[in-house]
Amino acid sequence: MSTKDDELLRELALEEYKYGFTTDIEMDIAPKGLTEDTVRLISAKKNEPEWLLEWRLKALRHFFKMEMPAWQNFEHPEVDFQDISYYAAPKAKPKLNSLDEVDPELLSTFEKLGIPLDEQKVLAGVVAVDAVFDSVSVKTTFREKLKEQGVIFCSFGEAVQEHPELVKQYLGTVVPQTDNIYAALNSAVFSDGSFVYIPKGVRCPMELSTYFRINAENTGQFERTLIIADEGAYVSYLEGCTAPMRDENQLHAAVVELVALKDAEIKYSTVQNWYPGDKDGKGGIYNFVTKRGLCKGDNSKISWTQVETGSAITWKYPGVILKGDHSVGEFYSVALTRNRQLADTGTKMVHLGKNTRSKIVSKGISAGVSHNSYRGLVKIGPGAENARNFTQCDSLLIGDRCGAHTFPYIESRNKTATLEHEATTSKIGEDQLFYLTQRGIDPEKAVGLIVNGYAKEVLNQLPMEFAVEAQKLLAISLEGSVG
Amino acid sequence: MITQVSDSLYTQLVKTYEGNLPTSEPHSLDEIRRQAFDRFKSQGFPTVKREDWKYTNVQPLVGRGYAFEAEPAALDEATIEAAAIPGLDAYRVVLVDGIYRADLSTAKDVPGLSVMPITEAFERLCFAKYFSEYADKTDNPFVALNTALFTQGLFIEVGKNQQLDKPIHIIHVAVTDRPLFTQVRNLYVMSTFAEAEIIESFVTQTGADHNLNNVVSELVVRENAKLQHYYLQLGSAQSHYLTHTEIYQEKHSLYNHYNCTFPGATFVRNNINVRLGDSEVESHLYGVTLTAENQFVDNHTIVDHLKPHCESYEWYKNITQDTSTAVFNGKIFVRQDAQKTNAFQQNNNMLIGEKSAVYTKPQLEIFADDVKCSHGCTIGQFDNEALFYLRARGISEAQARVLLVHAFAFDVTSRFANTTVRAYVEHLVEKGLKVG
Repeated sequence: MSTKDDELLRELALEEYKYGFTTDIEMDIAPKGLTEDTVRLISAKKNEPEWLLEWRLKALRHFFKMEMPAWQNFEHPEVDFQDISYYAAPKAKPKLNSLDEVDPELLSTFEKLGIPLDEQKVLAGVVAVDAVFDSVSVKTTFREKLKEQGVIFCSFGEAVQEHPELVKQYLGTVVPQTDNIYAALNSAVFSDGSFVYIPKGVRCPMELSTYFRINAENTGQFERTLIIADEGAYVSYLEGCTAPMRDENQLHAAVVELVALKDAEIKYSTVQNWYPGDKDGKGGIYNFVTKRGLCKGDNSKISWTQVETGSAITWKYPGVILKGDHSVGEFYSVALTRNRQLADTGTKMVHLGKNTRSKIVSKGISAGVSHNSYRGLVKIGPGAENARNFTQCDSLLIGDRCGAHTFPYIESRNKTATLEHEATTSKIGEDQLFYLTQRGIDPEKAVGLIVNGYAKEVLNQLPMEFAVEAQKLLAISLEGSVG
Repeated sequence: MITQVSDSLYTQLVKTYEGNLPTSEPHSLDEIRRQAFDRFKSQGFPTVKREDWKYTNVQPLVGRGYAFEAEPAALDEATIEAAAIPGLDAYRVVLVDGIYRADLSTAKDVPGLSVMPITEAFERLCFAKYFSEYADKTDNPFVALNTALFTQGLFIEVGKNQQLDKPIHIIHVAVTDRPLFTQVRNLYVMSTFAEAEIIESFVTQTGADHNLNNVVSELVVRENAKLQHYYLQLGSAQSHYLTHTEIYQEKHSLYNHYNCTFPGATFVRNNINVRLGDSEVESHLYGVTLTAENQFVDNHTIVDHLKPHCESYEWYKNITQDTSTAVFNGKIFVRQDAQKTNAFQQNNNMLIGEKSAVYTKPQLEIFADDVKCSHGCTIGQFDNEALFYLRARGISEAQARVLLVHAFAFDVTSRFANTTVRAYVEHLVEKGLKVG
């Protein structure tokens, strides 16, 4: 039994990262190092207005003053912020009007990734895609169709040029520059990202999607996403990420801000599959992301769904601030770690408005010698009458060298609030495995089935296209984990 | 400002330490004290920036002046009588401001039971073996301070194969007539196959001055021994407690802790750490906390599974009234060796007070895969439907509320091994409840 375990574990460790190719494209890379000049350079490259440069510089000054936190449940790697290039872009070319003008190398990269960038494929998928290659948004599809409805979906850089008033009004209102050290860094050096604005009463006709890819060496990716759903609007947004295989670690420190006004709803889904490093923990992406939504208006709703299988270290807590009365926050997460991966992830639900509700479902799966932590905060303010929270966080352990950890913070300052939290940790039941193998299903598939069933509650929340991908991803990542 | 004052208490402590190093002590103890004091000096008093003290601000407590030596103050017999548990026949041990009072204690000449001030136990074999062996491994600066400075406390040893016929009731009385910061150090050893029940009451004499009690207890439950351990926190507003209880269990042992806090003491911080040091060990931690007015009660527990085939079960209930605050932090560690562990933890809170708060953090850290661990946590209040149900049956609202709280606490109180203590606790919960 145990030899088989070992064999399978070895196989599992060797399971290849299929997105580990690089693309040779002429890149425009800023020299390494971080100073005010770096920020000025980025700002100038993006042709940004003065106020944004000032805003960036303010963030940079905060960043220099801040210290690296020590509370996280993993040893924070030494990150030399001076050894990173803060800007990498495909060599500047004239503005592209159609897909034909995009660098064919780039297109083939996206094809390998399975992103339906090609408009026809997009039609089949009914998904509008904004692809971010290293730091620059490459191509946004379906602009015209969205425009008819008044939906703005473009790269952050374009938004700054074309809709500065919206950007100025909302940028940094959900994640302030001083929120944490990586948010400060991002605020100072963010290079691009996606911008979405859904006007009043509009239900976005299709899923919006962004693909992030880190390609160049020694660069960090610092994108910034801002999504605003005006009164009564609805949008579903998907995000996917991959990176090439490299021996050194790369930093990804993004900031995502969501704002839902009265009666609006935002659904944000992530399938994160950054390069996790090899089986000895060499290389891989440090995924240190700040994601937060603000339910600003009454009856608004923000829902986060994430499937996390990649990254050497995942460190993020997508949260919702429930400010409007009757607003709803949701968080569904599956985090799978294997080999030497580390994940410290969870959510924050801050209840401020009356009759606010939140639901948290977190499923952690750890295999190999990985460590998977759930860290969550549910906070009920004194004014949050009748607030309601339900939290469930389960951990599944595969192999006897891994770890599962739970750090829920539950704080209530209102006597009408009701909170529930439950958590379990166990391994895959031997009786379940037996049941399936006895019916002729090989152990590997059986594990896949059980894990998919275990994660189903979360996967069900994903939009169709992503659910299939996520299921496959889980199955691939788990291949041969238990005998 | 506060820092300045607490610095002065800190300096005062440093001087006290350097000034009165008792010379009659064994050399090894001197060394332990010196190391402990170095640890304390390097850490200082904890601030809310430290994860373990996030909700617990000790600055106002350590930001004022204290005497460190208890002076004999007039103990009122009535205080002791009031602390007695009705209907309980027990060996009584009295500590006044941490000092063992032989004249008031009845646990003498009991076969197989040694009870003495800790300062007289330095030569005992098990003192050398167990003292500071477990508590000082934690990074609690108050333990370090206690180790460095304690001059009083209690030593109990229950001999091999001894099953005590009566429980031991320890009454900690705060009597002081001037602000006092005590360092009380206890060591209880349960020898192999021993069985005992230890009940500790914390009370304050009427008219006592402001007192801060830093009580560190180390307990060793040896192979096949069984210990039932109760804390009844009954102090009044002048009293403040920092207790650290470190339990080490050997093979086949059983340890049950029942931690009850009632309205009174302004500040209570309990650290209860159980190390399940060998296989086939069972531990239960129960807690019921009822707070009122501006009370602050913080229970931090650690259940540390070090070896396979152990079971732990933890259930804490908090009821907060008025502007009081209850904190619960329960950690369960399951180490890599500890396969086949069953660990359960639950924390339920009734937040009743208009301005009261509950902060809870049930935490699991698991490094072994063949385990069953779960925890649950709820925060709620009186169920209106249940209240209506009872009132529709002619029960007054006040009575209905008492019944509901009683039912809420029942999950925990029903586990009490000692029915007399259970009845006493239920009575105190009812008494401490403000209804209507």
